[in-house]
Amino acid sequence: MSLTDRIAQGLEAGWKVTDATTLTDNQTHEADVVIVGTGAGGGTTAEILAKSGLSVILVEEGRLYYQKDFTMDEHSAYASLYQEGMSRTTRDGAIAILQGRCVGGSTTVNWTSSFRTPDQTLTYWAENFGLENLSPEAMAPWFEGREQRHTVAPWQTPPNVNNDILRQGCEQLGYSWQTIPRNVKGCWNLGYCGVGCPTNAKQGALMTTIPGALDHQARLFHGLRAERLVMNQDRIDHLQASAMATDGITPSGVTVTLKARHFVVAASAIGSPGLLLRSDIPDPHARIGKRSFIHPVNATIAQMPEQVDPFYGAPQSIYSDEFNFRHGVDGPAGFKLEVPPLHPGMSAGVVPGHGQEQVDAMASLPWTQSVIALMRDGFHPESPGGTVTLRDDGSPVLDYPITDYLWQGLRQAYLAMAEVQFAAGASRVRLVHLDSDWYTSWAEARAAINSIAMEPHRVRLFTAHQMGGCGMGQDPQASVVNGFGEHHQVSNLSIHDASVFPTSIGANPQLSIYALAARNSARLAGKLRG
Amino acid sequence: MLDPSDARSGDTGFARLDRRSFLKTGLGGTLFLATVSATAGLSGCATAPAGQLGAVDTRMDARYQFRFLTRDDIQLFEALLPAMFGPTLPEQPQARRLAIASTIERIDAGIDNFGPANQQELRRLFDLLTFGFTRVTIARVWSRWSNVSTAEANAFLERWRTSGVGLFNNGYIALTKISNVAFYGGRDQWHLSGYPGPPQWAVDALPQFKPA
Repeated sequence: MSLTDRIAQGLEAGWKVTDATTLTDNQTHEADVVIVGTGAGGGTTAEILAKSGLSVILVEEGRLYYQKDFTMDEHSAYASLYQEGMSRTTRDGAIAILQGRCVGGSTTVNWTSSFRTPDQTLTYWAENFGLENLSPEAMAPWFEGREQRHTVAPWQTPPNVNNDILRQGCEQLGYSWQTIPRNVKGCWNLGYCGVGCPTNAKQGALMTTIPGALDHQARLFHGLRAERLVMNQDRIDHLQASAMATDGITPSGVTVTLKARHFVVAASAIGSPGLLLRSDIPDPHARIGKRSFIHPVNATIAQMPEQVDPFYGAPQSIYSDEFNFRHGVDGPAGFKLEVPPLHPGMSAGVVPGHGQEQVDAMASLPWTQSVIALMRDGFHPESPGGTVTLRDDGSPVLDYPITDYLWQGLRQAYLAMAEVQFAAGASRVRLVHLDSDWYTSWAEARAAINSIAMEPHRVRLFTAHQMGGCGMGQDPQASVVNGFGEHHQVSNLSIHDASVFPTSIGANPQLSIYALAARNSARLAGKLRG
Repeated sequence: MLDPSDARSGDTGFARLDRRSFLKTGLGGTLFLATVSATAGLSGCATAPAGQLGAVDTRMDARYQFRFLTRDDIQLFEALLPAMFGPTLPEQPQARRLAIASTIERIDAGIDNFGPANQQELRRLFDLLTFGFTRVTIARVWSRWSNVSTAEANAFLERWRTSGVGLFNNGYIALTKISNVAFYGGRDQWHLSGYPGPPQWAVDALPQFKPA
């Protein structure tokens, strides 16, 4: 295995990378295309456009961190690699939002699960949003291409105990389970994907498309916040951007003006609508920021008789779709079952508690297993999603009301997770919920779950998947971009990230973003060179 | 009590406490709370970061520069942390003070990366808890935090955890989450969760751990 760091080598070789926190003078730069964001969508777009011969400027608000910075340490990683220092939540504080803020975006900190968009989801989009061109057959080559680019394959190593318990529980109950495809090359099976891969095995944007773009003369500014797209008549003329101070959080006062023929926004399902709203981009039907989806996540934890060591090993390797499409694509809320890694800081922050109870819970961490459920939101009239708006300071914030429809799904998910854990031999199970006790049998857990309060704050909710807010569709009255990510009103603006999804995906979204961005970038490259 | 539809309307966390919800909780009038932050600021002691405090003054590492927490906030956490982590803290007084102090420093360092919006939310929460009138009427903590016993601090945390008011639950989560992450996530506390740290064989093999 090679320990030669791709980023260190590239910087040494003269990549055009500017740390905007070091800038002292206002300046203007120009390229064929300016891309805002360096995550799954921005990275893919940058590599494809740069390889086609177009000049590209990449803009990233977070900083460039790479192997030298990835020390398997929770505190430093949460502070530097995550949005709002890992404190981002929905507006009311009821849902914690895990989202990357660094070069590579969330692909630098995700747990490497790489699923194709489910056929049911693509078919639903075709039928409801006029997106027939995104049929499973039409998308298959794009998924295949991106699976090769990011070295996606089902995990061959045996799952860690944490994941194997999900497998065992499903086996016992006759529920389906599968091995998760992961985007890794030469993975050491350590378990630190969430704090920046220490071995460069993870094939996220940071190890693939970003170096690919920089090798082809793309220019990267990091520590640079895209403030505003400035229109001249019906086209975007330039991007106004603010350099960050050395803290990486507050603007230094230095501004950078970036001019281009075309602008691609890929700043995430919270950042992209935020940028468009700040820029007063034409929005005649008030669609920007609407229909935001998050795969709301709830969780249970189990005490196992055997040692689990949930902090070690590939964090996600087994999943169950038993409940994901059980009632059809648009019936009662479906959910995917997965497993989270449990490091001490994350565990103590996620599982609410204090005093002796918390001390005991933490002391038993090596015997603790957890299951999470990812609710498939956006496929039902009673799951219209949330709304991204701007705070007074111009920063974006997500409102996400939990409807009764979702509460019912979340309660079903608690039941399914507890049942699976007891079936796998758990000695006791509790919900990640303010009112939950430890339950020592499935019957006791079932009775408690059926009556427990399903209310904001009491149910602990999370999201690691932000989608929608600049939805795609055929009808300009109901969407922001068309099926190629092209803005309905502004001809030199495209959106290439998860914000274009008209519903949630029903699976971890990174491969869906890679594939759609690749397809739409190939088309864009053709148009711009044409 | 808040009616459920109101609780779900998704207004700004502790900003809401300044407004409608405060009336509905039956704890007082909105007018007063709306002025809490301003009043606390005018009194001159509450809202400036504590900066670098003398070791004698605060029992902290004198080299640490506080960037967000005020002297009042530090007293709040000095009262709350024993209720959160008491059984695990060293009994020897100096070691105990050091464990608490280093946790408060890590809380401050964590908040420093939260960004302006969430810092503003926490400022509202901490002002509410440290300003005398609201500490008594809303948190129902009768004495200054420096005089609050561990039992009283625990009772406060329990009230906010079990409250039917979502905002108090949210306050409980905010206080315990930043404290729990700072404490259990710290290398000195890894043993409390049976976490051996990153595998030594990997540390030995990886270039970023080798001395430059």
